[in-house]
Amino acid sequence: MVTPLGNDVKSTWEAILSGESGVREIAGFDASGFPTRIAAEVKDLRAEEFVEDRKSLKYVTPFSLFALAAAEEAVRDAGVRPTAATAERWGLVSGSGMMTMEFDFLQRFQREFAVDGQIDLARLGAEGARFISSSEFARHRAVAGQALLHKRYDIRGYSANLHTACASGGQALGLAMRVVRSGQADFVLAGGYDTMINPIGLAGFCLLGAISTDNDRPGSASRPFDLTRNGFVLGEGAGFMILEDWQRARDRGAKIYAEIAGEGNSLSSYRITDSPPSGDGPMQAIRSALEDAGETVDSIDYLNAHGTSTPMNDLSETNAIKAVFGDRANDLAVSSTKSQMGHLIAAAGAVEGIICALAIQHSIAPMTANLRTPDPACDLDYVSQGCRPMQIDAALSNSFGFGGSNSCLVFRSPQRAENRGC
Amino acid sequence: MKNGVVITGYGCLTASGGDAAATWEAILAGESGIQEVETWDSAGWPYRLAGEIKDYSPRDLISDRKLLKFITRQDVIGLNAVAQAVSHSGIIEYRDGLVDPTSFNDRTGVFVGSPATKYRYQHDYLAPLANAAGDSREFGVRAVEEVHPMWLLRTLPNNVLAYVGIQYGFKGANANVTAHGVSGSQAIAEACRYLKDGAIERAIVVGYDSASEIEALPYYASLGLLSSRGLRPFDRSRDGTVLGEGAGALVLETRDAAKRRGAKICGEVLGSSVVAEAAGVLSIREDGDGVSRAIRLALEDSGMHPDEIGMISAHGNGGKISDASEARAFSEIFGASSIPVTGFKWSLGHTIAASGTIESVLALLCLAEGRVPGIANLEELSPECRGVNVSATQQTPRSSAGIVVSRGFAGLNSCIVLSSHA
Repeated sequence: MVTPLGNDVKSTWEAILSGESGVREIAGFDASGFPTRIAAEVKDLRAEEFVEDRKSLKYVTPFSLFALAAAEEAVRDAGVRPTAATAERWGLVSGSGMMTMEFDFLQRFQREFAVDGQIDLARLGAEGARFISSSEFARHRAVAGQALLHKRYDIRGYSANLHTACASGGQALGLAMRVVRSGQADFVLAGGYDTMINPIGLAGFCLLGAISTDNDRPGSASRPFDLTRNGFVLGEGAGFMILEDWQRARDRGAKIYAEIAGEGNSLSSYRITDSPPSGDGPMQAIRSALEDAGETVDSIDYLNAHGTSTPMNDLSETNAIKAVFGDRANDLAVSSTKSQMGHLIAAAGAVEGIICALAIQHSIAPMTANLRTPDPACDLDYVSQGCRPMQIDAALSNSFGFGGSNSCLVFRSPQRAENRGC
Repeated sequence: MKNGVVITGYGCLTASGGDAAATWEAILAGESGIQEVETWDSAGWPYRLAGEIKDYSPRDLISDRKLLKFITRQDVIGLNAVAQAVSHSGIIEYRDGLVDPTSFNDRTGVFVGSPATKYRYQHDYLAPLANAAGDSREFGVRAVEEVHPMWLLRTLPNNVLAYVGIQYGFKGANANVTAHGVSGSQAIAEACRYLKDGAIERAIVVGYDSASEIEALPYYASLGLLSSRGLRPFDRSRDGTVLGEGAGALVLETRDAAKRRGAKICGEVLGSSVVAEAAGVLSIREDGDGVSRAIRLALEDSGMHPDEIGMISAHGNGGKISDASEARAFSEIFGASSIPVTGFKWSLGHTIAASGTIESVLALLCLAEGRVPGIANLEELSPECRGVNVSATQQTPRSSAGIVVSRGFAGLNSCIVLSSHA
């Protein structure tokens, strides 16, 4: 994975353990005119290191570069990749971001065709075809990253590209799990990638008032479940994993991190930006995920929360957890890794799914950083005093998106999966 | 058959007609909705044909007029198709008769083929860019002052998904597929997956697009993808596609759920597939590899033999290589069996993300009415498409089952197998 905390799994996990923050003053462009000038950016990722085929470079945008880098790490780690014989049995499922047009392109367009801010139609009709290059056109497609991943690994089977805002990555992993279960593919490269840290993305969120304006203290701007939380912090990056059938993985002697055991997928049908305070919507996702995995509230040890640090999300999520877990809610370790890496939007669910697998592998629950002033309405165990060593046999990962789509995934330890006769 | 998926409602809105019946009649009559663009002044444009919705009046197309502040033209079109299909299915009347509709709503999913983002969404930033005159700090200040606060929410690629949920209160599993020309078909495919998995009992499926946006015409033309004369599928003189706008929607239910409420069953979705060719963002394989594999997999999924297929709704986008490679795939799978082949884009234009759902609705009408409309502007079958049984005049399907083929950028191919059998 590629995150604001590190450009691979190892460095990201180490940064999570050390309590670091990936949030800084925005360095990628001049954000000095915006109300929010901080974000959690990916640092020092060089395209040349990840794209060996130089010709492909002209098709690569920042967020597809994140995807290529994270996918390469996943494929190498899995020790398996498509061959001529298996290419049609490999699938690709990803959640990708909504901002595919580049700001530089928009600026050039404005100078060329909208000098006074209004489009000169006659000029656009006459010159428009000469203005754009084929690689630029390709880069702007929502399927550009998907196409690059297919081509790079010669994945010729099933394919899906999803976008439900902040739920995209979680829904992608859930769909990928179903694709493997149904036998539609033997292997699926599954994940999410996104960046909205550009002048238009930042403007969009500033206009909405959804992001924190704590420009003077970037490290604590993202403080999920804290009484003083005032919006999320934009992050960027990608997470990918290789999913395959349990028995197939065992037979080939694969290193198994975890079983992705269940998916819950629901719609809040309330408002575009929020779930209701009652937790209705998210709670259906959590319940269906448990049911799909054959687990109960008693068997879940850790929950990686959506925990965006917006006033309503964190309340709604807390109430959804209480509604589903009842008396068990206080025994559950709940934390939001967005407190350290910000909100990776369409990539968030995929990266946080990997974090659940790592939490299981290392027997450590990540912390919720920056939670210093408890909110009486958010009174669960948010692991606020540092990462917690604990055995984790089953974990949940929540992702809820603008538009009301909700995803909850169940991850099981290999041991628990074996014991259940997986 | 356990959890077979049936169709209990449909609707569409196209350049050729305001609903499914009007579109169907226009196609039977050989009428095309493709004309010179009317939504902006395209005088002097070398490529100015488009399949635009006629007499577009948003206030007449959706019931909740307050919504118009929060959604764009393509969203309105999508929601209109959904309203048609939902009304046709009678599910709301049924739900309103239930003592407790909670379970009904929780088990109703929403699956959408979405066009993702649009160039036109960024046009709101042209004025602040012009006014900032190259000063990046000034741009930040002006963007947040001058652009509408709801800009980001208006441009969400999952708005139709979100508002279908909010309008009707459906809360089940959902997906928003952003996969260019296969988005609409894949929305049907993923709905079937969740229905067969038992995660939901019914699903609203919609594909929508306003593909003929202002910047799309010159940019698609720059790649040689557009025709300035008309979309002529499989014709010797074909020279490109014509972009259009529209939406198609279906209500799908498990057979059990449909029977339980005594629904009128219009047909069945027997199988589906999505495969990638892994050829890059814009390239397609000339041998039709992806199309033939998509058809084979969909037939396999439906347990059907090629001989049992009674008609083909081809992608037929009028592209030189696209149509030729598609024809090769048909010949390879169906041999000399001369199954009637038709397509609808000559009349509707290529509605990209909507095409798979619109064409599934029309294919269902072909099967139900026993009429395969001709491709009215076909003059001379291209030698490269020899063996494909297309006609300028009406044919008769050989059975009550048919296939719908859709293709998109990123080398994506999808096939849906439908039957009009109740």
